[in-house]
Formats: sequence, C-alpha cells, structure tokens
Amino acid sequence: MQSNSALSVRLMNLFRLQDLDILIREASDPELKSSEEKMGFAHPHLDKLQAARERLLETIDKRDLRLYQKIAKRLTHAIVPVEDRTCLGCYIGLPTSAVSLTTDPDQLLTCENCGRILYWLE
Amino acid sequence: MLVVGPRRAWIFSGVEVRYVSESLREVTTILHYFDPNLFCAELESRTKDDVLRELTDRLVQGAGVKDPDLLYDMLKRRESLGSTGIGKGVAIPHGRSLAVNELRVLFARSSAGVEFESMDKKPVHLFFLIVAPPQDKRNEYLPLLGRIAELVKEKKVRDKLQACETFEDLADLLEGKFGAVE
Ligand SMILES: [Zn+2]
Repeated sequence: MQSNSALSVRLMNLFRLQDLDILIREASDPELKSSEEKMGFAHPHLDKLQAARERLLETIDKRDLRLYQKIAKRLTHAIVPVEDRTCLGCYIGLPTSAVSLTTDPDQLLTCENCGRILYWLE
Repeated sequence: MLVVGPRRAWIFSGVEVRYVSESLREVTTILHYFDPNLFCAELESRTKDDVLRELTDRLVQGAGVKDPDLLYDMLKRRESLGSTGIGKGVAIPHGRSLAVNELRVLFARSSAGVEFESMDKKPVHLFFLIVAPPQDKRNEYLPLLGRIAELVKEKKVRDKLQACETFEDLADLLEGKFGAVE
C-alpha cells in the first residue's frame, strides 16, 4: 500500500468501486445468480446496489474514475495486487523503474504490460 | 490448516499434527479452509449491523486483513442485495473483496440469536463469514460456499455446530462429517 495518505484514500475509493462492481456483476450473471439461489440466497434488491454505485462515484477522483473505467471496459479486474514484483493480473514481472514509481505522491501505479492499476500486497 | 504438498498433506488441528495420505485429501478439504484464529464461540453483538462489524473485526484480528472498512462496506452492500440469512438459524455473509489476499472463513455462534432479516424471520445462531479475493486462482470460493450451505441444511449438523465450544469441536465435526459421508 502506498504511504501517501491522499493517494491511499483515492486508491481505497477505487477498491470500493471494484468490490461493488464485482458484486453487481455476479448478482447480474444468470448462471452465478441461479447457483446462489440454489444454495438458498436471494438477490431481490439489485437496484439498491446500482444506487449505492451512483453515490460512490461522487466520491471518486474524476481522473481515477476515467482510468478505472477505461481498464474495466477491457479487463475483468481493473485493480490487481503486486506480489514478488509481479503483476497478478498478467503475471509479468515489473521493471525496477515501475516499482520506484510507488514513491510518486500523486500517481496511481499501473502495469506497463496490461495497464491495470496496481497495489502492493503487505 | 491443511498444507497440501504434491503427494501428501499435513493437518494442523489444534496441537495435533497428523499425516494424511493424498487419497484422504478430499474428505478433509472443508476443514482446511477453517482456522483456529477465526473461530468465535460467542458473539457479543446483538444486532445485524453490529454482527457484521464484529465478524469483520474478528477477521481483521485473526487473519491480518488489510482494511476493515472496505470489508465491512462490501458485506453491508451484499446484505442490501438480499439477506444472507438462509433460514433455520444460519447466516453465511459472503463476497469478494480486495480487503483479503486469500480465501478466508470465520465461524461464529450466538446463543442468544440475532435478528438478521432471514427468509424465515428466525434469529440467527450460526454464522459463517466467507470472503474471497477478486481473483480466485484455484476457483475455491463458490464450491466452498455451496458445500457449507449444503452442510447446514441438515438439522443434525446445525445442532452439533451449536454445541461447538472450541475450534477442536468444530474440526472434529467437519472431519467426522465428511469422513463418514464421502
Ligand atoms: Zn499486468
């Protein structure tokens, strides 16, 4: 996790958005929905999640949101962890130059290969 | 905790360490997702929101989860979609979140019972919190959710879960259950 607190807040808001987007996607997927229903879970209030998403978008930095949406349009997960200096989205090792970017106070780090937003596993 | 190697597995159940052959791996699989640090014999909370917060906090303490608020928000939103109280005194709050790096399962009991907006309106006494990272490399999350939901359909199992005072009781139950069935 980046040490800069403003950046951390921005990243955390994007984390919230991705968590919510996964929830919405899984609740809208007919196959997943039916398998959860068979387990005994009902999903009657998808509209509430959509409303929560609208509210959440207002808290997100506009540039960050554009970046997230651009990635999310082509890839399932826009935000992925880095482990052992490897992007866990595309499994390509990050160059040392990219790793040093984590000290840049304003920049969300993205993978040079797949473009996903990266965060560090602790 | 079960550490699975290519040809063998070791089970750490409390202080007991035993070797299990590869052929037995399947029957013990469900236990391997449970953790002595993620066992709560008695929840303090009495309301749904408080229980979600307490389950979150216990997961954070027991498993070193990154951000409790992120996890709590996800669980709250999952509940707003529809209660995970599946009836007969059981709730299985679950979802995927960047707050965790690996699949986590927490078991908790409430002898008083908690109103959890369950389908049958009955108070919940048994909780399984299941949280997975967005990328579930081994595709374990949904099968585990399904197995736990199936397991608690049996009254005999629910009664035994209710009687679990320690993690060892739970481990014995889960091992015994699947050892006998499969
Ligand atoms: Zn990548």
